[in-house]
Amino acid sequence: MSDSVSTSFLGRTLRRRSFLRVAGATAASSALVLAGCGDDTPTPVVNTTSSLVFANSDLGVLNFAYLLEQLEAAFYQKVVDNFPSDFTAEDKAACIDLRDHEVIHREFLKYALASNAYDVSLSTPLIFNFSSFTLTTRAGVYAAARTLEDVGVAAYNGAGKLLTDPAYLKLLAKLASVEARHAAFVREQVQPGSFAASDVITATGPLAGLDTVKTPAEVAVLIAPFVPVPLVTDGLMTLS
Amino acid sequence: MDFLNLLARLATLDTEAPATAAPRRAALSRLGQVGTALLPALLAALPAPALAGTKETRTRLDVLKLALKLELLENEFYSRALGLTPGGPTNPAAFFVTTANRAAIQTIQSHEAQHVALFTRLITDAGSPLDAVPNFDFTGSKNGTQPALYPDVYTNLDTFLKVAQLLEDAGVRAYKGQVEFIQTDNYTLEAALRTHSTEARHAAHIRTMRRQRGANVKSWVSPADAPITTAGTVPDAVYSTESNTTQYIVRNSVITKVPFDSSLPINVGTPPLSAAAILAKVAEAFDEPVEAATAEALLQLFTY
Repeated sequence: MSDSVSTSFLGRTLRRRSFLRVAGATAASSALVLAGCGDDTPTPVVNTTSSLVFANSDLGVLNFAYLLEQLEAAFYQKVVDNFPSDFTAEDKAACIDLRDHEVIHREFLKYALASNAYDVSLSTPLIFNFSSFTLTTRAGVYAAARTLEDVGVAAYNGAGKLLTDPAYLKLLAKLASVEARHAAFVREQVQPGSFAASDVITATGPLAGLDTVKTPAEVAVLIAPFVPVPLVTDGLMTLS
Repeated sequence: MDFLNLLARLATLDTEAPATAAPRRAALSRLGQVGTALLPALLAALPAPALAGTKETRTRLDVLKLALKLELLENEFYSRALGLTPGGPTNPAAFFVTTANRAAIQTIQSHEAQHVALFTRLITDAGSPLDAVPNFDFTGSKNGTQPALYPDVYTNLDTFLKVAQLLEDAGVRAYKGQVEFIQTDNYTLEAALRTHSTEARHAAHIRTMRRQRGANVKSWVSPADAPITTAGTVPDAVYSTESNTTQYIVRNSVITKVPFDSSLPINVGTPPLSAAAILAKVAEAFDEPVEAATAEALLQLFTY
């Protein structure tokens, strides 16, 4: 079964090299230990205090999805913990649904990753930073949710072709359309009629009518303001 | 990779299998009471258990042709409602009640027309002739040859939106069921995934429109939605397996049922939800695929 998580010789070499490059001085000694241990199972994500490095494998892709779901779950939890004063009962029920869906997605991926989850040995989980959002008003919450949900949809659309195992592809597709439903809903709360507007659905050309797609590197840039460590997606970018 | 593929197949086996197997077993155990004369009739009435061998296998062209059929149907459904093609409301301008409703349907229709163009191009580029476009009857009466399922589809906006929800939710499920057959073709896979999420946005918004008009329905598919189909009918196949709360994954090389009903820390609300209520959220959090045969059966309802 190691085939499902391992990669080509070249791929593995690239991963290790990129790890060493980004590991940073504080983690250099442990990096050498990890790189030299000779284990047949590559570490899907290398986590240090200074960066998160995603491997070029299905498990790297799943860890990337896991991080996105953690981010969304943490966001809605923050909203639910302190609803804006202008939230209606319907808004509250919707955001509790959204929080529950994202928590379920997060725990599902964490369970699937098991010991390969990037944060399995982390003493404290990552604390996401939502200070750039205005979460004290209904409009602010839904505008923030729109940003996160649209990124999620684009990330899943881009992740499909990176996966090798068809079972993972099917499972991520089950989550992707739920994220798209969320996106349509929250967009509508920000601006009526915008559920599938031309800023997310390609308007012209041979790919007109298609939803947004983003590479892991593009997604990493978009979520960087919320994540407390740099994300290194070089490995994911070698997948196709 | 053969062994891996086998594992992957096992992991995605029809999760209804245990449910369908159980009544068979129960029926067989009752045979002693009713005698063997009834055996053939009894067995014929039971659903066959889903087995690995019955899993469908489809080519890229099969996938593209199904996609085109779905998009042609949806495009015509909305085009008639908007008065772009004949057969819709007597007064299309008044049918949608509000300009917001009409604008939303225009947005959706424009995407469906673009999807038709996309899949037409991909089929043609593959060197294949296009299948003949069927006739459509969105009342479900097959041009008056059988009782209509939705006789007021173009005279009652609520009926129209119900059929729209049915078609959009079915589209999401149908694309999801096809992605594994185009996995090796990055261009087609990505186009299908991007169509899939576009349809999911449409589906969510149709549901939002229905809720704004008083229907008890969420923007995501929920066991709490008021049903819009009748159990046992062809349209009901769009929803009959959508309440699934059982997911299987390959975890540390072992096929494992995800323990949503026991150990996963997903019930984080204050106060916590009941066991049934948290599983309903699990059902909402996963959209399920349907196989091509199910999608084709639905298409057949509206074509002749």
